[in-house]
Amino acid sequence: MHVTGLELAELARAWEASDPDVAAARVGWNAAPPPVPGPGLALQIEGVSKSYGPRPVLRDITLRIEPGSFVALVGRSGCGKSTLLRLLAGLEGADTGAITRDGGQAQAGDVRLMFQDARLLPWKRVIDNVALGLPRREAHERAREALAQVGLAERAGDWPALLSGGQRQRVALARALVHAPRLLLLDEPLGALDALTRIEMHALIESLWARHGFTAVLVTHDVGEAVALADRVLLVEQHRIAFDAAVLLARPRSRGAPAFAAFEEEVLQRVLGTPVEEPVQAVPAWPAHGLRWAV
Amino acid sequence: MPTPPASNPPGLWRRLGGAGLPWLVPLLALAGWEIASRSGWLSTRVLPEPWAVLSAFWSLLRSGELWHHVVVSSGRALAGLAVGGGLGLLLGLFTGTFRWAETLLDSSLQMVRNIPALALIPLVILWFGIDETAKLFLVAVGVFFPVYLNTFHGIRAVDPGLVEMARSYGLGRWQLYRQVILPGALPSILVGLRFSLGLMWVLLIVAETLSAQAGIGYLTMNAREFLQTDVVLVGILLYAGLGKLADVLARGLEQGWLRWHPGYNPAHPAHQPHQPRALA
Repeated sequence: MHVTGLELAELARAWEASDPDVAAARVGWNAAPPPVPGPGLALQIEGVSKSYGPRPVLRDITLRIEPGSFVALVGRSGCGKSTLLRLLAGLEGADTGAITRDGGQAQAGDVRLMFQDARLLPWKRVIDNVALGLPRREAHERAREALAQVGLAERAGDWPALLSGGQRQRVALARALVHAPRLLLLDEPLGALDALTRIEMHALIESLWARHGFTAVLVTHDVGEAVALADRVLLVEQHRIAFDAAVLLARPRSRGAPAFAAFEEEVLQRVLGTPVEEPVQAVPAWPAHGLRWAV
Repeated sequence: MPTPPASNPPGLWRRLGGAGLPWLVPLLALAGWEIASRSGWLSTRVLPEPWAVLSAFWSLLRSGELWHHVVVSSGRALAGLAVGGGLGLLLGLFTGTFRWAETLLDSSLQMVRNIPALALIPLVILWFGIDETAKLFLVAVGVFFPVYLNTFHGIRAVDPGLVEMARSYGLGRWQLYRQVILPGALPSILVGLRFSLGLMWVLLIVAETLSAQAGIGYLTMNAREFLQTDVVLVGILLYAGLGKLADVLARGLEQGWLRWHPGYNPAHPAHQPHQPRALA
């Protein structure tokens, strides 16, 4: 039996829906569920819509994000994925619907956002930037620790203007992590970096996520990045979630692996809106309709 | 690794030449002036010789008069700066921060700005007479506008992305102001300060012609009465020197407070001359 990643996720959902015990447990979602212990935050998004004036951006988005999971939002530019992220961050309010973080128990400091540009304060040294918002007493210690985690401990005393783009994003990452967030939102943070730095940052983000266990939501236009990092890929199209697929590749993921490439190709075709074709191979290593998922 | 060419080492002479070359023209001009005066071609009534200026300077310094006049003039200038600049800074912060304040006050201030300060002299004399208040008022009015405009612009031009970021990191209103908005506005405010320092001296010179009992202007006017052109020149040079000093102080402030800015920091890599390196 040949199953794609998408189909597998759908099968799993159908099975769950049919199981009476699981269905009963789900009923409790609308009444605030007890907060999940552990570092990650659970996100419940119900019927969220957002328009900028006459222009609708998001329509009736309903979604649940499990605590500790890594979710990627992909889509063409202007599709509303960044807007959804900003709604999750609380930077903007939804027109309709509700976003519940951890059943309403989340604190303001549990959510941190990483922007597309590093947005470091140029008049503060790197260490002071990382310590932004921390209480005075332990600020420097914790900042130093966070910088060490991103590998920039020796640049603590420098001005941001002296760092490269990749280094600045790393400082921004340290700044987000120093608050021990339970939800880390990443708004295309690697878009402005060169390809090699991007790959290094992928490894860094993945290792920090594995270490700290926060829930991560990554907005990206790069499907490869989404497949490399996330457990689940959501496509935002026509103001809705057009598909929702679990990424069943084992970590650590290698980009060259056939399963990776196949899944990435599938998602990319879906994003571009072209119908999924038979993969054409010059020298087929296995039959054309071959296995397209891997454990 | 290739050795550097032995013929022309960039050594002491080059560096001395580099530092000394800008001074060549002024030194030549000075020498020319001295020669012209000595030879009688340039009458002392028109322009005294440099040596006479120097000796007048020295005698004034010895008698203590010079110091007294400099102190009085500087005091007036700084008082005007404090009043006008301080008011400009406060109003600029106010209208920059609160939109309603801008709507209320900004257009009125722009209207007043278009009145040249020096054109107000007859009014100033009528209101304040010719004593110290008049001089203070003139300097303050002139100094006010550059500081106000640049402060207002500085506050408004702070990167909104940084403000958004700081807000999302939980910075309260006051912390946001202190850590993001004020430092962001500082380069503009310092530009306003440098501008106003230049204006301050110009206005002081005019204000001191109104009538004075002390000050560099008094010294110069008095010397003119007695045809002491060398003292007049001393006065002019004093004004120039004090203006330069004020600018140097303002630059010093910039170097200190704006070290983080790549445009103001000479040690920044962007300012270093590119040294092509051989690949070893």
